[in-house]
Amino acid sequence: MRSASPATEMGIGYLLRRGLAAGAAAGALAAVFFYLVLEPVVRRALVIEEARGNADGGGHSHEEPLVSRSMQVFGGIVTVTVAGLLFGLVFAVVYAWSRNRLPGGSDFGRAVVLAGLGFMVFTLLPGLRIPANPPAVGDPESVTRRTLIYVLTILVGLLIVLALFALDRALADRGYDVPRRAALAVAGAVVGLTLLFLLVPGSPDGIPADMPADILWDLRVASLAMLGLLWTVLGVGFGLLLSPRTRTAAAAEPAVAG
Amino acid sequence: MSNVTASTRATVPVWAWALVALAFAALYLITQENGSLVGATAAEYIHEFTHDARHALGVPCH
Repeated sequence: MRSASPATEMGIGYLLRRGLAAGAAAGALAAVFFYLVLEPVVRRALVIEEARGNADGGGHSHEEPLVSRSMQVFGGIVTVTVAGLLFGLVFAVVYAWSRNRLPGGSDFGRAVVLAGLGFMVFTLLPGLRIPANPPAVGDPESVTRRTLIYVLTILVGLLIVLALFALDRALADRGYDVPRRAALAVAGAVVGLTLLFLLVPGSPDGIPADMPADILWDLRVASLAMLGLLWTVLGVGFGLLLSPRTRTAAAAEPAVAG
Repeated sequence: MSNVTASTRATVPVWAWALVALAFAALYLITQENGSLVGATAAEYIHEFTHDARHALGVPCH
């Protein structure tokens, strides 16, 4: 028998350090993707914004920039990296809280499942309901309303996930087997997501006529890809950082038993 | 086997949840702040510095 429980090794500090490390790696890689893929799209959109400013008689605030273009690119890299670090911190705490309820069989599997859920709730759902926009799209008047839609989409998505986990536990307590619980969870997800898309409104903004569709498409796809990369590196990285401990424990087990 | 680890749990102390709240406050500052928490000049500087990342991260921005 193993007397030492793995929980003693997997305290909150242990998880937080690994969450911050995985988050920093995820943020740094996402920042590279941002610089190589997203910046060129943003630059294409800024040309449109500038042309519009010139047509208006040059009354736009970008005439006398508070922050230079190169500083904005640098700022973008820093911001994406910091965002990854913060995601990692939150991820570690939520992992500690939800570890016993997550499917996946191992810490690596659970970390990947949690990252998948995080991608769906915090990236895919708002990305579908209120997609990313390049500069020169978006009415400053409606930014508060769009922010509310963005936050509401995430909150409803979070509620759906928590409700499905509660439903699954209730069904398990009633003796439902795994196939039936899985089928009901999928049905519940379909109902929840349908309600979300019916009840939460979309963006109130139209797309200006001078914005080419390919810039809009490229930015939205690149934004989803960057965040998908961030979640993947975070989940896989965090899972790998937890794995050596699990493997050592498993390898040590026969020796202890013998 | 895996059920050995499945029954264990890292307890989440209050300070860890406070850290999560701080992380969300920081995320708000870099993705949303437009003058409701800090002064107008500072807010405009934060907005311009994080501008490209806000578009890339897909958060609503001006």
